[in-house]
Formats: sequence, C-alpha cells, structure tokens
Amino acid sequence: MKQTETSSAIRNVSATEPEVLKKVAGAETPFKWWGPTPEEARKIMVNKPKSLHDKRTTIKEAVAKRVKDGMSLGIGGFVNTRPPVAIIHEIIRHGAKDLTLCFQSNSICPELLAGAMLLYPDHVSIKRVELAWWGYEVIGIAPLLRYLNSKGMILMDDYTNYGMSARFKAAAMGIEFIPTRDHGGSDMELTNRGIMVKSPFSGKNTYLVPACYPDLGILHVSAADMYGNCRIFGAHCTCPEIAMASTYTIVTAEQIISNENIRTYPNLTEIPYSAVDAVIEQRFGCHPGNSYGFHWFDMEHILMFRSASDEFRKTGKSDKLKKYYEEYIFGCETYDDFLSKLPYKTLKKLRDMDGGQPVILS
Amino acid sequence: MSQYTPFEMIAYTGSRVLEDNKIVFVGTGLPIIASMHAQLTHAPGLGLIFEAGPLAPMLEMGMPLSVGDTRACRKACYLKGLSSVFELTQRGHADFAFIGGAQIDMYGNINSTYEGGNYIEALTRFPGSGGAGAMAANCEKTIAIMALEPRRFVNQCNFITSIGYGDGSSDYREKAGVMGSGPYRVITNEALFGFDPETHRMMLLEVIPGKTAEYIQNKVSFDLMISPDLKEMAEPTDKDLKLLREKCDPDGFFLARKVK
Repeated sequence: MKQTETSSAIRNVSATEPEVLKKVAGAETPFKWWGPTPEEARKIMVNKPKSLHDKRTTIKEAVAKRVKDGMSLGIGGFVNTRPPVAIIHEIIRHGAKDLTLCFQSNSICPELLAGAMLLYPDHVSIKRVELAWWGYEVIGIAPLLRYLNSKGMILMDDYTNYGMSARFKAAAMGIEFIPTRDHGGSDMELTNRGIMVKSPFSGKNTYLVPACYPDLGILHVSAADMYGNCRIFGAHCTCPEIAMASTYTIVTAEQIISNENIRTYPNLTEIPYSAVDAVIEQRFGCHPGNSYGFHWFDMEHILMFRSASDEFRKTGKSDKLKKYYEEYIFGCETYDDFLSKLPYKTLKKLRDMDGGQPVILS
Repeated sequence: MSQYTPFEMIAYTGSRVLEDNKIVFVGTGLPIIASMHAQLTHAPGLGLIFEAGPLAPMLEMGMPLSVGDTRACRKACYLKGLSSVFELTQRGHADFAFIGGAQIDMYGNINSTYEGGNYIEALTRFPGSGGAGAMAANCEKTIAIMALEPRRFVNQCNFITSIGYGDGSSDYREKAGVMGSGPYRVITNEALFGFDPETHRMMLLEVIPGKTAEYIQNKVSFDLMISPDLKEMAEPTDKDLKLLREKCDPDGFFLARKVK
C-alpha cells in the first residue's frame, strides 16, 4: 500500500478496499519512472542537433522511426479538440505493444488504440494509462475504456485535468515533481502516484505529483514552420507542455507556414523548434475532432465509430468494429487515403461549421 | 405555467443560483446551459471559464459541445490552456465550480470515476475526474448539478473524485491541501440543497411545487437536514423556456433527456 507519513483524512470516508489499494499505481514501490528519468530525458535533449533544419517528413516515416513497444505516449489535444488522430492511425498500422498512454482528457485517440488492442492484441496493446478523463463529452461515455476496465485489462492511474497538465508542465520545466492544490482529500490521493507532504515552509499539507516525461509526444497544431516552431489557435489544451515534456515530439499541422512569418510574430510561437523532432502538414489531421479556425467536429463519424464500439462492449460482436479498422485504418496507406473516403461535402460542411475564425498564417 | 422537463428545471435553477459579475468555471452540458441562461437574463456580467483554456468567451455560436471547442473559445478575453485556467482557480479567480457527477454523499463528496466492482475492475467505469476534482478543490464555491435519483444520493460514494466536506470535520479541506471553501449548492430537478455551516451536512432549501420534504427525503439515501425556512422552487416562465430551448440547447442534447 502507498506509504505516506502525511495524509488528509480521506481514509475516514474512502470506500476503496485495502486489497485494492495494494494493486493501484500508487502502491508501486519504490517509485519508478514509466518513461525516461529526468536525467535521461535531459541527456537526449542535450545531444540533439539544435540547428534550424528542415524537419518535414511523412507520418509513416516519423512513426516508424520513433514508435517502439513498451514506450510511453503523451497524447495532445483535449477530448474532441485537436486529438492527433492521423498519427494514431499510423501507430495502429505500425503496431505498438505494452504502451503507457499519458493525457489529460481524450476521446477518439485512446478509443482507437483500445479497439486495436481488442481486435489485434498481438499488434497493439495498452499496458496502463495515466489520465484525468476518457470519454466523448456530449456524445457519451467511452465504450472501450469501460470494457477494458471492467475486465481489469489496463492499469488506470487517475489524476485531475490540472494534475495531468501540471505533471507535463513539471517535465517541461525539467523538474521531478510539482505541488498542486488538488487530489488531496479525494480517493486519488490513495490510488495515484502523487504523495501528500508537509510544506517545508508553512508545515501545511501539500500534494505533490510526479512529473510526466513521455518517450514520445504526439500533437496536432494549427500551424508550424519546417523547423517545428508551432502556432496554436483556439485552446492550447496542454500541447505546449506535452511537446516540451516529451523526449521526442511528432507534430502534424493544418498548415506549414514560413519561418519568416514565425519571426514576424514571435510571441505567437507556443512550441519552440528545439522541442519538435518531426513536422508533417496534414489538413484535417485531427478529424473527427475540432480544429479552431479550420474545421468543426465530424459528429456523424464519431457516432459511427462509437456505435460499433458500443456494440462490441454490449454483445461481444466485433464485425462492425473490425470493418471500421479494415476500411479506415488498415485499408489506407496514408491518412490522405482515409480522408479520401470522406465525402467532399462532409469536409466542406465541417469547414463551414467552424465559422471561419480568424487565424494568423501569413 | 408551461410544462417543463426535469432537465429544464435543473438548468433554470442552475441559472438562478449563479450571480452577476462573478466568474464560473463550467463543466460540459447542463452547467453550460445554465450559465448561458444566466448571461442572457439576470447575470450579463457573468464570466465563464472552460477548462481547455478560455476565460470569458462570447457564446454567440451556440452551446459548446466540448469545453475546448471553437464555440467555447470564440471571442474570449484570455485564451491559453488547461494549466493557465486551473492556476487561476488556485489563485482565487473562480467564484463558482459548476460540475456534475454520478454519486454524491451528505457531505457533498462526488464520484465520477466508477460504480460497482472496484477501482481496478469496475462494473461501470466513468470517464474520470476530468477537471471536476480540481474545480471542486479550488474554485471558491462548488455547485453540483444532477438528477434527483436514489442511486445518485448515496450514503458512501464508491470513489471520491471531487472533494466536498469529506467526513464533515471542520479541518478536512485544510488537511487535504485545497483552497476553495467547498460545496455550496446541489441542484436537482425536484429540490435545491445547500449545506449546514456547522455540520457541513446537506440541507434541503427548496422543493418543487406540489412535493413535500418527505417526498424528497425518500429519494435520498442519507438523512437530510431540512431548512427551517423551506421554500418552493421558482419555476421557469415561458420566456425562460424559450431561451433554454431556442438559444441554449436547440438540439436538445441535454434538456430533452429523461430522468431514470
């Protein structure tokens, strides 16, 4: 069980059984980094070439180069906002086992990986998830999360959205942990990998969460130059922190813009080139998610995938779910092949529904 | 008086509880609808925070479907990311947290993690804390919003995701290291609850016209305190219903649902 000298009075009200507390993520002793140690992450950064060089590539090449079994994967975006779906498709085609997923809130990205794990367990699998939230918001719960969790097939390590954001932020800052004002007094204090300590200054209880250093960060942004300087319109979510926390970072962008334009508005750069290893221009790279200034959600597509997932959860029948993967992922060589399967009218409607928000690209 | 659905009553009451010239940190769904209604009626100076990044957006494209989407961000005064807005709450910028949940106990602790089985192998896993745990910790006052169903108003939550008053002890929140003062109101379709300042127990403040305190007690697993000044809940007018149906949730994502 998680050992701590200081705690809130959560044990007076918690219903979590002692037997369960022996098996939670926070019970792992001694503490182990699930990705690189802060020292390893720094060393890799120190040894990277720092020149402004052309980092444009294909999603296929970037994934083949960086995705390995057993790695931790930091997923950018937030629920249905800029989820890096194009990169997830390629990771599923490539295959990756025993993944640790790290995100604050996401929808289709972990669900796609979960579906791949259920259908093709020798090709894709998730070992554990560090998260705050996994669902579809207005559309409903995530059926495949519910299925996997009900069978105890993945280890869940729960934080709040701030907790996960602060954990990425701590890694972006190059530190080991960060104090937060939440988690204490909730069951997460008993289950997750944070720890309650006495502040060395005031003596008051303060909850520390460990930094989250993913092996690989994957993001979809509004715009980037060929060197990896990224601009994000709409909510930043936790994308800048994830990019800077990760050992390696792959970015898809709605549009590649000139370095001259980046230098005209340097304050608009949210992720510096030194934090990015691969850049790919990929319009609709977060479909069926929403990309501020570019396109709205594809609600019908989400509903189609979700209903196939829900049928699998409820009946165990995998025909529809398999058909989705065969048609939209394994039946495509590239993400452009996937987009080619969507009617032009759909893409046009999604673009119109975003309402033409002003973005600075030139 | 027009007919209204249970969720229209919840949204209307949520709007009533909010105050003008404050900042409310809103979760998905009913909290957004209630806040939109408040802005359109008695609280034009109410600022909204959505957790993906925006502060004080103008919701003129309709109800956001995700707290990070274009509609939630459009014409905001300040727009960064999750870290920025949650850090504002730690510093005291957010007056109200407005959250939902699956279970709530008498001290306002809320579960949105799982129900049945255990934490490792849950019968029904929910999405998880999301922002709720952090909002309940650090916004100044927490407003919870949920349907009044016995399965939700429980003696003990399977998992405490969002901190309330814990075991009711006066220093529970301080020992937890959180900054907000805690649960303030619980809004349901048939009752409005507050909390007794001494015991921190849930207290019935208002009941829907035509029902009694006993009726409400029968829908709650724990013993309620009853306000000595028990009132009837105000009902939405035709104008309120028109706003809710036509402006706030025209597609009926939330207001058209049924209470089980």
